[in-house]
Order: sequence, then structure tokens, then C-alpha cells
Amino acid sequence: MLEVRNVAKSFGPLRALDDVSAVFQAGEIHAVLGENGAGKSTLMHVMAGFLKPDSGAVLLRGLPIPLGSPFECRRLGIGMVHQHFTLVPNFTVAENLALAQMDSLNGPMNPSVESAKAASIAEKLGWEFDLGSRVSDLSVGSQQRIEIVKALAGEAKVLIFDEPTAVLTPDEVLDLFRVLKSLKEAGKAVVLIAHKLSEVMAIADRVTVLRRGRWVASAPIGDVSVAQLAEWMVGELPEASVKTPANPGNGRVVAQNLRVLGDRGEVAVKGASFEIRQGEIVGFGGVDGNGQVQLAEALAGLREGKVIQFEGIWANPEPAYIPQDRQTHGLALGMSVEENLLIGGLANSELSTGPFIKVKEVQRWATNLIHTFAIKVENASDIASSLSGGNQQKIIVSRTLDRRPEFLVVVNPTRGLDIRATEYVHEKILQAREGGTAVALFSTDLDELSLLSDRTYFMSRGQLMESMNAGLGASGT
Amino acid sequence: MNRHAQAALTVCGLLAILILSLLAFGLPIGKSLSLIFQGAFGDPYAWSRTLGKTTPLILCGLGVVIAWRAGLYNIGGEGQFVLGALMSACWAKWLVMPGWGYAGILALLVASCVGGALWAAIAAWLYIKRGVEAVISTLLLNFVAIQLLEYAVSGPLQEAKRQVPQTDGLAETLMLAKFNPQADLHYGVVVAVLVAVGVFIYLFRTKDGFRLRVVGDNPNVARANRFPTSAIQFRSLMLSGGLCGLAGGVELLGITGYLGKGFPQQLGFLAIPVALLAGLHPLWVLLSAFYFGALFAGTQNLASFTPAGTTLVYVIQGAAVLGLVGLRYWTRRPRRSEAD
Repeated sequence: MLEVRNVAKSFGPLRALDDVSAVFQAGEIHAVLGENGAGKSTLMHVMAGFLKPDSGAVLLRGLPIPLGSPFECRRLGIGMVHQHFTLVPNFTVAENLALAQMDSLNGPMNPSVESAKAASIAEKLGWEFDLGSRVSDLSVGSQQRIEIVKALAGEAKVLIFDEPTAVLTPDEVLDLFRVLKSLKEAGKAVVLIAHKLSEVMAIADRVTVLRRGRWVASAPIGDVSVAQLAEWMVGELPEASVKTPANPGNGRVVAQNLRVLGDRGEVAVKGASFEIRQGEIVGFGGVDGNGQVQLAEALAGLREGKVIQFEGIWANPEPAYIPQDRQTHGLALGMSVEENLLIGGLANSELSTGPFIKVKEVQRWATNLIHTFAIKVENASDIASSLSGGNQQKIIVSRTLDRRPEFLVVVNPTRGLDIRATEYVHEKILQAREGGTAVALFSTDLDELSLLSDRTYFMSRGQLMESMNAGLGASGT
Repeated sequence: MNRHAQAALTVCGLLAILILSLLAFGLPIGKSLSLIFQGAFGDPYAWSRTLGKTTPLILCGLGVVIAWRAGLYNIGGEGQFVLGALMSACWAKWLVMPGWGYAGILALLVASCVGGALWAAIAAWLYIKRGVEAVISTLLLNFVAIQLLEYAVSGPLQEAKRQVPQTDGLAETLMLAKFNPQADLHYGVVVAVLVAVGVFIYLFRTKDGFRLRVVGDNPNVARANRFPTSAIQFRSLMLSGGLCGLAGGVELLGITGYLGKGFPQQLGFLAIPVALLAGLHPLWVLLSAFYFGALFAGTQNLASFTPAGTTLVYVIQGAAVLGLVGLRYWTRRPRRSEAD
């Protein structure tokens, strides 16, 4: 159905794609795998016309398609569901659906008519949209459904999903998989970028692996194992981090009937009681939006929540915080890597005298951090926005852990990271635990919780549901 | 594109904008350019005029740099400039005696900082407590400031003779010393250069300045790291207003010696392109302020020989801002970050 032939694309000195060829069949779910920076997104953007390759061709049913023209590609039936949604937040669902149907900016517009077809497609997929509600009020999962329906409404024959599961809850992932299967059965070619091997094994018919911009392998899913895929992606097998039993110390963070208010004054956390001891990781799971972020912010001292106490040998430890979204809460994207590290280093008394920053000392310290945490960057003065997601996360993790915090609050630390970066972050969090840090780990990823935490709570509508021991029955990767 | 190419492109662009503006005014290019050049650099007096105009532009430009670096788009330099000068004039009338000498000069300059800072504090308060965008409030406060000036010079601050709407002249002992009594250039230029170095050190060599820049780049990050974000924003806007106010004080004590309705000359507005052209860097402000100062002095000369008038400065100012925005578009297009 869709074929990529010898495609190459460079961004400046970086060869994002190097002579990549692949065939995507109708009636098949074809997963494209690779680490961050392997070229998956670039390849998808070339196929959907958003990027013009330097050389090579893309063929649809044997005929070359115009390169670098997303509008034409959509007309020909190549739809894409972007990782970062292409919705207008202030528009209603109907208006967003209608927008995708418009072939010109002139003439009258009637959202209810133009969105009708999309709405009927949604119905066929078993989804119900409230056409009149504003997109910004919807959950991430619902927004993605709108994206999918938008892509389908253009009579798409090929559908490209760029990391669709990264933002979804486990239930939403299952529903997405159901839809992907029905699309496949309808004879469409489904292309899927994914990070998690377990998901790929569950849903894909065929995989293609890229590594550093080059094609490594393609195979039907039945012929490969998880270990084989991981080896193709990384080059060698990453060593699974081994967790030793917890060795809790005397210091404790104690929350007694903790209530936390959300941004709109609503009670986001309704009376949570728990304790986190030094040297242990306590996990907080659950579907997004049930008060986890508010609880995390309260623990990190960013929100009023007066009922947190520190007991034992501690004198009010300063909590270190790794926020949920690295781009909106973690990094000053317009500033350099060094400066972003310094955000955490300001507390370090060796880096300043009085009000002044010791420039040389900061450079030395930052270079050292970049080295120890293996942040891939040419120069410490590079702008943070030019780094890949994994390396951006490493900046935040490194500057937070460098302080050797006594109490660490972490929210979804590996969202959107590849295997190697995930391993790395996990290892660092475990190391902090060994060093006697009390860790509160908030994650929507069950695998992550079972891998890291010593005890796990689940949050639902602002309440802590149940406490479980590590190793709950999630299928490991 | 590397920085040198960018700088070269900027210079060529500015020259091109100048020439296109002259064309638009229907002026002969060669003759006009030479008149402008004569007016800006032709003789010691021309240099003196150029640097005299450069001085308040440096100070206002630095004020804009500080606020914008903190993510607050202060476009109220004009109003803060006026309030700085007004506060100076008040102190000169009621508080500071001519016999104070240097201490008097210092007191009046401090007064101008205070005036500008307090004026900016209104906008800062509105922003932090009421969520009013600084762009709107600072802009509107400009008009209030100008009305206040007109009221003051025809009311409480009016000259003793009560004929013209202007203040009495400052005593000679309270004026900034000049390098040459006949020319514009005064020691305020030294103050401006020192302040520029000070702002550079503050922004790039102190913890406080670093926090300010983080707040400007991403206030969420500042909050997540428990920086006192609102306090930093408040302080930076006041600092910004203080510098614009100081510019007004320096203009009063260095050049005019009295306040009249025509006092501000839109220097506070011109400070915005000065800061933008400098890429919001305090040391480059020296250079970009010099460019606009020279343009001001040069076009004044052009105005006395052609019908173009000093309007040309404002045309070029506008064109330069548009040009800079365009240049930014070309050089700072976000690179597509790979597979994230």
C-alpha cells in the first residue's frame, strides 16, 4: 500500500534518516520501533508530507506521492495522528472536526454540517462526542479520539499514529487497540510508533526497527521476541535494574488526613493518610486527573497542605521535585543546558559567593554533571530546546539528584522516554533510595510502579484507594 | 546562521531600512545620507548631540531589557521616563537646595529612579494581584503620565512668572557637568555606561539576575523550584521603571534643565527597538542606543535642510522593529527536535 524508498533527511549536521526503505501493507498494523532520536518521527513526518526528504521517494499504491505537501497527502488518503495534538483548544469539538474538512479558507462555514461525517465515524468506532464542548475542557484521551476521527474523516487509507499510547491511561490504551484492530479489519494500513515493547507485541502484525536513522530490521511479529526487538533497537540488551529489599531509616514523611485544594479551589485530595520512610519508594498510581499532581505538588511544598509532617531525625527536609511535564514545568527551554542545570544548583553554596555566581565553577560543575549523567549534548551552552526528550529529562533528573535530596517527589519521570533513557532514570531513582532518600513516585505506568516502588497506593477521585505491595500483577516488559 | 553573519545582516538591514525610508520620503539618497552623517558625526558638536541623545536611550533601553528578560513586556518606558523627571523636578522645587552641590545632583537622580519605579509599581501590582497584562497597563499609564506632566507644568510646578507652561530652570549647581559648556554632552553618559555594565553583571553574574531570567523564560519552572516568582516579577518591573525614570532625571539634569510639555520626545518608546536590536543584551544596548542616537541627531540635521523632519526617525524606528521581527523569524525558527 505505502512504500518508502531510500529516504534520507538531514537536519543540519544530524542525519535523521539515512537511506531508509520500508513497505506498509493494507490490513496490517505495522509498528515502527526505535529509541529517541532513531528517526521514527522524522520518517512518519516524511510519509505524511510534513517534511520533504533530501532524497528518496514515497509511493502510494505504486505511484509516487508529492513530497513535503501535507495537504496533498491527506487528500490522497494518508492521515496522521500527531503526538502533540493539532487541535484548536478554544474551538468546540464540532469546529475542530469541521476545520479538518475545509479545503479552502474562503466561503461560508457550518460546523454542524461539516462535522457530521466525522461524528458518524466516531459513532461507528463506538465513541460518543459532545460536539458542543470545548476541546480544552476535554481529557487527553478524548482529544486523541478527536484527532483520530479527524484523520479518518479524510477517507484515509493509511493511518499513521505517532506514539499514541504515551499520553493514555491503561484503559484508554485498550480502547485504542480495539479501534486500531477494527481499522485493520477495514483494510487500512495502520502505522504505529511505539516505545513500549509489550504494547507492540500485543497489537502489531509486523515491526520495523530503526536505529540512529538507519533501517535495522523488519519482521512479522510472530518471528521475533521482546529480547530480539530490544537488541535491534539498542544494539545490545540493556541490563534490567535489580532492586534490593528496602532498608528504611528513621526519618519519615507523614501525611495525616491531608487535604489539598486544586487550581479552581476544588478539593483535589480528600484526606489522604500515608507515610514515606527514608530509603523507600512509595508509589502513587491511578488514572490521570485524580488528584495525583495536586498531591505531588503539596508534597513538594508548592501547594498549601498543612498536614504534612516530618518525623524522626529530620529537620524539615527540603523536598526535591521532578515535575510531570518537562517542557512546561521542568525546563527553561530558551536557556542553555548549563543554565537549566543551575536552576537546581543555586542551592549549592560552592557555586556562588554572596549574590554572585562563580562562572568558572558553574561551568566545571555543569560539565561534570553532563558527564556523570551522560547527557548527550555538544556544548553546555546549547539551548535546552535543541535536545531530545530523553536528554531533556536527564537535565532535570541530574540537577535534582545532584543535591542528594532527603525527600524526592517524582511525577511520571519516564513518560515518552525510550528504553535506555527509562532504564537510566529508574536506576538513578533506585540509587537515591539506596542513599537513604524518601521517594514519592507518581506514575500512571503500572510497570514502572511495580518495578520501583516498595509500596503502592492508588488514587481515585482524590482518595487513596488501597495499599499494595510491590509486584502487582502487571505484565512486565 | 552564526552570530557574526547575523550581526552583519542586522547592520546591512538597518542601512537598507534607512535608504528605503529616504526613498519613501522622496529624498535624494546620497545628499540625505551625507546630511545625516554630518549631523551625527560631522564635528565635535554633532558627536556631542549624538551622544547626548544616546544617553537616555541607553538607560531606557536597559530598563526595557530588564523587564522583558523577566517576561514582562514593559512598554511604559515613556511614562516612567516622565514620572522620573517629574519626581526630580518636585524634589528640586521643594526639597533639594541649590547649595547641596553634588549631593543635590545625587538626590535628584535618586528621585528620578524612585519616580519611575513607583510608576511601574502600579503596573506590577495590577499584574500580580489582578492579572492585568503588563503590556496593557504600562502602555495606558504612559498617557496618564503625559497628562500628569501637562497638569504639573501648568499647575503646581509652573515657573514663578506663570507665563509659559514649564518649570523654572534648575540651578546651575544642580545640573550634570558638561564636557564642553556649549555642547549637549554631559557626564550622564558615564552614568549610563556604568549602569549598563551593572545591569550586565546583575543579569548574568548574580543569582538574583539568574532567577529573573528563569522567571522570564518559564515562570512554571521558577515556581516548581520554589523561586519567589511574584516577588521577582514585581521587583524587575520596578527596577525597569527605575532605570527609565533615571533616564528622565538624566535628561532633565543633563540637557534641558526644565520640564515642559515637549519634554519626553518619545525616547521611552524608542527604547523598545533599542532593546530589541540589542537582542535584550545590556552591553549591546550601548551600541544600539548609539545607532538610534546618531539617527536622531542626523535626522535633526536633515530636517533643517529638507522637509522630511525628525518624523524620519520614527519611520525608521518602526521599520527597524518590523525588520528585527523578520530577522528573528529567519534565525530562530524552532528546530524540529527529533523524535520527541
